[in-house]
Amino acid sequence: MENSNDTIKTIVITGATSGIGLAAAKELAMKGAYVIGTGRSEERCRYAEQEVKSVCPDANITYLAADLSSLSEVRRLASDIRETLAKDGFSQLDVLINNAGTVSSWYISTVDGFELQFAVNHLAPFLLTNELLPLLGRSRAGTVICTSSGSHYRTRLRWNDIMLRKHYNTLLAYKQTKLANVLFVTELNRRLAASGSNIKAFALDPGLVDTDIGFKGTSGIAKLVWKFRSKGGTSPEVPAHSMAYLALDPEPRSTGKVYWKDCRPKEPSRYSQKPDVAKKLWELSERMCGIIGHKSSQEQKQTAV
Amino acid sequence: MKSRVFITGATGGLGKAFAVECASRGSDLFLTDISDASLAKLSESLANTYGIKVSFYSCDLTDAGSRAGLYGHIRSRCLMFDFLINVAGLDFEGAFAERTPDQIRTMVRLNIEANLELTHELLKLRDPARTFRIINVSSLAAFYPMPVKAMYSASKRFLLNFSRALGEELRSRNVTVTALCPAGMPTTPECIEAIEAQGLAGRITTCNVGYVASKTIDMALRGKQVYIPGLLNRILRAAGSVVPDSIIARAVGSRWNAAHTRRMRRHGTNKAYT
Repeated sequence: MENSNDTIKTIVITGATSGIGLAAAKELAMKGAYVIGTGRSEERCRYAEQEVKSVCPDANITYLAADLSSLSEVRRLASDIRETLAKDGFSQLDVLINNAGTVSSWYISTVDGFELQFAVNHLAPFLLTNELLPLLGRSRAGTVICTSSGSHYRTRLRWNDIMLRKHYNTLLAYKQTKLANVLFVTELNRRLAASGSNIKAFALDPGLVDTDIGFKGTSGIAKLVWKFRSKGGTSPEVPAHSMAYLALDPEPRSTGKVYWKDCRPKEPSRYSQKPDVAKKLWELSERMCGIIGHKSSQEQKQTAV
Repeated sequence: MKSRVFITGATGGLGKAFAVECASRGSDLFLTDISDASLAKLSESLANTYGIKVSFYSCDLTDAGSRAGLYGHIRSRCLMFDFLINVAGLDFEGAFAERTPDQIRTMVRLNIEANLELTHELLKLRDPARTFRIINVSSLAAFYPMPVKAMYSASKRFLLNFSRALGEELRSRNVTVTALCPAGMPTTPECIEAIEAQGLAGRITTCNVGYVASKTIDMALRGKQVYIPGLLNRILRAAGSVVPDSIIARAVGSRWNAAHTRRMRRHGTNKAYT
């Protein structure tokens, strides 16, 4: 579809009310992109919108609130994104940045019965991406970016208890979800290439960044450790710049590299590139998100009142 | 035939953990709780993830009419169960004299009346050829008289004694009854706040809810009568049993009063803590 909006990049950033997401929203808005940011609370969304507009008064930015720990909220967000884009005259989504992430000191289960970090850090990006693939397919250069982390190195998926229900450990759970991000991006690229799509997916390693992620749902000791550790990190603008580079620059698309840090490709962990692991995780995630019409879910609907 | 598990309070923190645990073991589920929308969400997700059958019925267990509706629903569908997990329960923390008559009634109805009635009802619907297992969620609070949580700890003591006695009564009829007596568990932001208000003592007596659910099912399958999750909690319980109740009540009272005050100061709320 040819219209005046055709040259403007449309970009969705989840978790764009603080940290890397907010910094990236500012940079992308300043570069003239049409940005939809998401956040958990209306209030924080309003605040972030003002923040972006304070550095970029004519920013083309909208915020949508959604709690990404709930699959039905992720689906609702996807449909809100479709509506918002359509309302503003766009028929395509150019870039989806799955940036929202969380940490939890305790095993918390979501409304859908999943472990909180697993749901927010892995399942939400998985489902949101799948929901928005048709819109991304209409872009000339559809791009998916997931904020992963160097913590994906030196870990593996615990298949017998993937959500660590029985032996929960905050850092282990976090590392696993960041590994899942790389596996997801790798498998997504494989599937997209196989279907002849020109959408490309990247995992971004932000490095150690001074954000408040370590204060989300953690207890005193973890907060204290993060308080000191994060001070040694870079400011959120540094990874946000890499994010904007992956989103806007045609260069990374031609390299075939999936894992990026500081605007340069980097080797992800060997485990994250195992095709069988990535495929198994993909299929499990599909079942968890109810993407495949599961037989028993149909039966369950009949027996339910 | 596959095992079918009946869980009350299924969308709360511990109930959900039990539902996930049983689903991961391949059991079919029947879930009840007060919110139909929450039950629908959880049921769909568990059926999708674990490939099991899940049915649900929303019911206000504090209401006799609502409970009758639940029994009618089960009977009309000829459902049979071989596992009952009574999780639903609540607490109105704070000085007893300041509780409202409505709060008092609600707690007795949910923590005691509903549990007894449901257990009675489901025992009638068991398959006598199969072992029937019951888990009642009591509390570590059942072992001590607890000021500020007087009604709660007494109601949990009721469930502990009832479970032990019922287990003995039905031993020859292939029924096992397990009382789960956990310390506080971090299931909701309120619970986490309550645990953190207790400081270090709260944190080290706390077990993750997924672990508790998994171990409790193991214990029930072994026919254990009482299960206290966490080694430290078992030590506390053992130490508590050799100290006179009056001294324990005094000690617990001062600790809880302090923690309660800290929480109230922080928030000014009086929310339930289960």
